[in-house]
Amino acid sequence: MDRRFKARLDARFGEVLRGPIRQRHDETEMRIGPGDVVPVMTALHDDPAFRFEFLADLCGVDTGDVMQAVYHLWSDVTPDWLRIIVDGLSRDDPRVPSLTFLWKGAEWMEREAYDMFGIIFEGNRDLRRIYMPPDYTSFPLRKDFHLPDDAARSPGGGVRHMEQAHLPTDTPAAAIRRTPASRQLPSR
Amino acid sequence: MTTTRRPSADDPRVMLDQELGVFEPVPPYPPRTEREAEFYTLGDGEMFINMGPQHPSTHGVLRVVLKIDGENVVDLDPVLGYLHRGVEKLCENADYHQCISQVDPLEYVSSLFNEWGAVLSFEKLLDVQVPRRAEYIRVLSAELNRVASHALFMGWMALDLGGLTPILWSFIERDEIVEMLASLTGQRMLFNYFRIGGVNGDLNHDFMSRLGNWMSRATEQIEANTGLLNENEIFVRRMRGLGTIDTPTALRMCFTGPNLRATGVPFDIRRAHPYSVYPELDFDIPTRDEGDCLARYLLRVDEVKQSLRIIDQCLHQMPDGPIMAKLPRLLRPRPGRAYSAVEGPRGQYATYVMSDGTDQPYRMRIHDPSFIHLQSVGLLMEGNLIADTMAIMASLDPIMGGVDK
Amino acid sequence: MALTPNHPDEKPATGSLVVADPTDVTEPIVVPNTFWDSTTPGAYTGSLEPDHTHLADFAASGGGRRDDARWSGVLEVIPTKADYVLDLIRMNSLWPLLSGLACCAIEMMSAATSKNDIDRFGHFPFRASPRQADVLIVAGTLTTKMAGPLIRLWEQMPEPKWCVAMGDCTCSGGRYKRSYSTIEGIDRVMPVDIYVPGCPPRPEGLIYAMMKLQQLVKQRRGHWPERAIGPTVPEDV
Repeated sequence: MDRRFKARLDARFGEVLRGPIRQRHDETEMRIGPGDVVPVMTALHDDPAFRFEFLADLCGVDTGDVMQAVYHLWSDVTPDWLRIIVDGLSRDDPRVPSLTFLWKGAEWMEREAYDMFGIIFEGNRDLRRIYMPPDYTSFPLRKDFHLPDDAARSPGGGVRHMEQAHLPTDTPAAAIRRTPASRQLPSR
Repeated sequence: MTTTRRPSADDPRVMLDQELGVFEPVPPYPPRTEREAEFYTLGDGEMFINMGPQHPSTHGVLRVVLKIDGENVVDLDPVLGYLHRGVEKLCENADYHQCISQVDPLEYVSSLFNEWGAVLSFEKLLDVQVPRRAEYIRVLSAELNRVASHALFMGWMALDLGGLTPILWSFIERDEIVEMLASLTGQRMLFNYFRIGGVNGDLNHDFMSRLGNWMSRATEQIEANTGLLNENEIFVRRMRGLGTIDTPTALRMCFTGPNLRATGVPFDIRRAHPYSVYPELDFDIPTRDEGDCLARYLLRVDEVKQSLRIIDQCLHQMPDGPIMAKLPRLLRPRPGRAYSAVEGPRGQYATYVMSDGTDQPYRMRIHDPSFIHLQSVGLLMEGNLIADTMAIMASLDPIMGGVDK
Repeated sequence: MALTPNHPDEKPATGSLVVADPTDVTEPIVVPNTFWDSTTPGAYTGSLEPDHTHLADFAASGGGRRDDARWSGVLEVIPTKADYVLDLIRMNSLWPLLSGLACCAIEMMSAATSKNDIDRFGHFPFRASPRQADVLIVAGTLTTKMAGPLIRLWEQMPEPKWCVAMGDCTCSGGRYKRSYSTIEGIDRVMPVDIYVPGCPPRPEGLIYAMMKLQQLVKQRRGHWPERAIGPTVPEDV
């Protein structure tokens, strides 16, 4: 918990912060808006007082109300990890400037955040799906995407369209549980 | 939209007098991004070759589309996702304890580091103090796992270059270490050993006797295994100068771990941002300057030697005490966020956890080093031959379980 | 770096699969998020036609339930003891296909190397090409993206061929049973002869499975007449 580091961040970026800088254990966290990403990250990267040249992680978060993009940075001027939360991305059209102009290695991390959440990183030359097939229409890590499971709160109730479920030959028909959606599957 | 189904051309009984569908690696839709358009445009004399998800390399299911001009690779596009299992989503529906075993199969060769990253962030969320004996046991088992992982790396490196003997020697080495860890944790591979607040079981007699046995021969064994390759002219000449990367590019590509240290940067999370009892242990951070495949290989050999030093010190300094902190069975951390990183054998393995006060994490983000390193294969492949693709990929040491999560 | 575009005056090679101009891109796909419903047909798999495989139709047509690998023609007069010899030959040299997908692949490699050696059973040559392989040991989780290529590999293997489902993920989905992108057990998409449970199964477990497969081959049980996609348990196994 580096108090002087927090003071320096406050002094430098006080106007663009969306909330107080929080510190817990060995992490310092600040929140900014999507419009401030480029100046803040450039300052953190280039300014000799900060020298955050190591991007440790880039991810997306869906908080139910808004989306966030979270960056973790490391520098040797402070023993803390710096977490930058880009807050306030709307769930319908989340757009953030891309960090590929500073770190080329952020390209795939942003692709993953797009694939899992739908966050558009403007300036990423290669924003296509990375894990799911290229024609997939959903964003799996969003909170409104429910796992295809009986136990999840999903109207689909266990329908897996890709497979044909076959049960062992001697299963009595009464033992097979039928949900409304799974009646479309071939019966055994 | 209905399509008539022809008999598959892959059925060996079908006579091929009919026109095949074209099995091009080019995607059947127009390009959607700049990079896709640039890649899927052929210059004069170029062609695409698809190294499909099943290939003789042992890293797992990775599909690489190569754009080649003769034997030289002009450009390269890795296609991932063939092992994407949705671990992050499953973790959101699972307990904190279940999350520890869910993250095991990500980098399956070095499972304990996956667990360690997860457990460290959970302990930060819960403000748990881990007993010292548990910390020493964690370091001991993790460094053993690092040695096993690097032994496997040496075998795979040679296997991808065509040498079939070193993989057998590596697996002998690995089997010994893994049987040791099996007597300690109960499992050969996906150990599920670390717990929030400690470890699962204490050191036992079987483990200690096997460990002592192995330690007494470890140094000569490693010398023998690496001597097989270090002095092999074909190996050295194929790897020297291949896939060179310099420090500013490595930092721009967010490299960590041995791949970054091979370019000269002495960045090791055990020293830069220490966790557990590493501040009390005495070990060096080996670095090399060349940044080519040979440097990455030799660096991992050096790291094995440092790991042996750490294991030795752990054995001598092992304190007594409990192996697990006292925690309630149902864990409900306060709402908050925690990030923690450990130095795995491939690089920085990190976890970012968000808690909303319930007993399931709200968001569990796993940052994997293999994923980051695989981005740079296209960069390193410039102008090299097709056969060097595997050498470069093997030297970056990716594990597809971690890449695809 | 290879990422510089071609010279602007250079025309790319002809062919319908080639983009005319490197800067000619369609709009990136931006899918609005509010209307996803788990019951729509493309909810979990997407909208493109899946990989062209005919395995499901072939299984439904019953063509796989014929024993193709018998002597034919004038050799049919050879009494059935020759079938026994043929099966002995087959069972002692089952060459697996190198298709390790995930963690179980490490234990498969461990079974193939010096300490637990399956070379003594004749199974060492892991062929890289499916055309030369006898057994497909599916070691590791099968995801929906990989299912197409794996079925294609299975179809490319010539008869007689067998399939071993190694590990919990291939037997039933395992720890990823509730995931959105895995197949709950490969027997939903391929016929399986041997199931090896474990996460991962020990190499000794895989050796036991291969020996069981040898027994099945020798006794011609659970194989061609009864083979189908889905768990089929033959009598008195």
